[in-house]
Amino acid sequence: MADKLIGKDKIGDFLKALMSKYTVVAPIERGDAPAEFQEIADGDTPVLDGSKNMMPPKDYLLPRHEVLVKIDMSGGETKVETPLPEDKPRVIMGAWLPDAQGIQVLDRVFLDRKFIDPYYARRRENLALVAVIPAEMRWSWFCGSVDDVDTWKAGVDALMYDLGDKFYVEVNSDKGAALLEGAPMSVVSDVDVAAKDKLWTEFKNTGLLPFAGKALYENLAWDDPVWGEIADKCIACGMCSYMCPTCTCFDIQDETCGNCVERYRCRDTCQFEDFTLMGHGHNPRSTQLPRSRQRLLHKFRYQHEQFGVVGCTGCGRCVELCPVNVDIREVLCRTCAEPMEQAAEN
Amino acid sequence: MIQDTIRQEAKKALESGEVRMVIGWGAGSVPFKTTPVFVDNPQDTDKLIWNPACTNNLAVYLTKLARDGKVGIVAKPCDVRSIVTLIREKQVKRENVFIIGVGCGGVVDATSLQNGDVKLREITSLEWDGGDLLVTTETTKTKLSAAAVLREQCKECDDRTPSVSDVSIGEAVVRASDLKIEIPGLSEDRQKYWAEQFSRCIRCYACRQVCPACYCETCFCDRIEPKWTAKKATTDEAWMFHATRAMHLVGRCISCGECERVCPVGIPAVELARELNAIAKERYGFEAGDPQADKPLLGNYQENDVDPAHHSE
Amino acid sequence: MSEQTTVEKEDTQLNEQTKEWQPSILAILCNWCSYAGADLAGSARMQYPETVRIVRVPCSGRADPMFVLKGFQKGFDGVMVLGCHPGDCHYAKGNYYARRRIAMTQDLLKALGIPAERFHFEWVSASEGNRFSALIKEFTRQLQELGPFEGVDR
Repeated sequence: MADKLIGKDKIGDFLKALMSKYTVVAPIERGDAPAEFQEIADGDTPVLDGSKNMMPPKDYLLPRHEVLVKIDMSGGETKVETPLPEDKPRVIMGAWLPDAQGIQVLDRVFLDRKFIDPYYARRRENLALVAVIPAEMRWSWFCGSVDDVDTWKAGVDALMYDLGDKFYVEVNSDKGAALLEGAPMSVVSDVDVAAKDKLWTEFKNTGLLPFAGKALYENLAWDDPVWGEIADKCIACGMCSYMCPTCTCFDIQDETCGNCVERYRCRDTCQFEDFTLMGHGHNPRSTQLPRSRQRLLHKFRYQHEQFGVVGCTGCGRCVELCPVNVDIREVLCRTCAEPMEQAAEN
Repeated sequence: MIQDTIRQEAKKALESGEVRMVIGWGAGSVPFKTTPVFVDNPQDTDKLIWNPACTNNLAVYLTKLARDGKVGIVAKPCDVRSIVTLIREKQVKRENVFIIGVGCGGVVDATSLQNGDVKLREITSLEWDGGDLLVTTETTKTKLSAAAVLREQCKECDDRTPSVSDVSIGEAVVRASDLKIEIPGLSEDRQKYWAEQFSRCIRCYACRQVCPACYCETCFCDRIEPKWTAKKATTDEAWMFHATRAMHLVGRCISCGECERVCPVGIPAVELARELNAIAKERYGFEAGDPQADKPLLGNYQENDVDPAHHSE
Repeated sequence: MSEQTTVEKEDTQLNEQTKEWQPSILAILCNWCSYAGADLAGSARMQYPETVRIVRVPCSGRADPMFVLKGFQKGFDGVMVLGCHPGDCHYAKGNYYARRRIAMTQDLLKALGIPAERFHFEWVSASEGNRFSALIKEFTRQLQELGPFEGVDR
């Protein structure tokens, strides 16, 4: 399908038509708080242009609280229920492209290997992804530094570029084409193509840092003094992980009440002291230093070794929000760019 | 200039061997943020800075760093109130802290700079110009009124000079007066208001970790037995966490507002503690940051304390 | 609130005889006075509604505000803390500490928007069995007027 334009005034009608066939998941504004991906209903006005601060879409695919098993013994007999999400066609709209790429990373963890996570899989199957490049890039983005962003387009079914009063829509798959079938769209002109290309180039070059490609995962050293420096400052909250579009770690807990048991999954993070605390009291990561190191090495080295993807998409949430301004970009400049320079000198 | 004096005082303290380290603010990764720095060499004291973005309450590091041996700390009046609390509650020894107090008229909320024409990416420096914040970019200079950029907790703060210090730098500054903290929606149905706020909580514990008054070795919510609050991020569990935290902060919270600043989902957690502290001040004459108070609020009583019993017969 | 986190349903059933809704009350009682007072009410066969679930603590000073908060989180319709009269504490001053702590807890509940009528703090001595039974009756009636607690996450 050729690229098309859709006027912003037509988005409402388009959404309405879409909602008759799909469950539409899009960022809903919540006052000053970041918008959250929710299944939208009639009358909702989601943020589709990527202009607002938002929670990562993983909040929808990997909910903060998800019941895996329910055991009910109240009626005398034991009933076991595994409440899988409903099987229905869904579409995620309005995710920033780096966040959509984050879903690719989640897929590697939950779908690629020997075990397929049924809960994640259920939400992910039949899911179409429509990403957006906003008119204005966020100051904290550094997507072009972590990966070849051109390859990211293959992971989304359609990509919308915000061109002011209209979106330029690039369709990348049959799923995307089906999604847009019958939408009130018009043909693109050369001017539109040029405007879209300009926006893409801007996205590619936003926050470009002096490292790329292999340097990112090859130069990260286990014994780099930078880990100690981060650990000194780090107050050990889990904000960077919980807001990260690619952090996948979770905990499973059982809760009882009277005659029932609920086994649920919730978020967990390598930044917490009890993450690696063993039942007998030993903690292999007993100080903040190995915890700080773990998060970055996992993202940039271990995940690359394991799955061939970099576990960071440059969305900049941790850059913007870290309470003590531990800036992942600075850390990478130290760990990746400096060794590169040294290698060039020799 | 205040910044130079901070550096000189830090250098003196380090050179004389009085302290082994000075905790202060350093340049952040971007000009509108600062980051904590730990200077242990007199040559490195030029890493210390002072600007309108020095928001972090550095007292949070004292329980860890001032345990053995003396450290210096650069502190705003609110940070000093935290230090006072830590000393009163015997988490830090007074003789282990060298306080470089700095007069302050409020610090800036970086995210509020985005309003209007200023683009965060282009900012090169922030400085006060009387009651205005002067935001400099490569090409422009913009003045923003203090009322528009001050952190919420700074708006009603009238503590402008450190109550306790070993060296005091700078003078009391009044940037804007008669400003009020505004919490939209709080005055209506409170139960509904807080349920909505807490429904957003992702349980990252940034509020707890950034708080100098949250010094417990093991927080109640990290305990498995008894399980005060489950790990799941549901509204009722988040309510239990925030309500208990507020209760634990009664008489400890000095309203620096760090918990509110760092919350990624915008929960004004400090409001609960602030409200309770105002009551404690009125009813018991107790203020968390008051160096004269020798015992913690709830570790003390008077025989004629107000009686909360209902006395129904 | 999910079913799993609410107080067991039998606590909020209709009373068979009166067909009136019965609230569930969490009562935290000091061992030396209030619990003994409740005991007296029991041994003297004084009638009071079966709405109350008693937790015995060594002293009202042991009544952690978290007990109160947990009670509301778990969906109790009302929570009460009872202790020895000021000056009568078995541990000399435990109830003086409790007095401040409970006063601040009341303020916290108010700040959180939990109706003040759902929390009850009172001094009850070991000889006041009568008073204990009257208190439970009164608190139950008060909660019946208010209706069920919708939960902290409504």
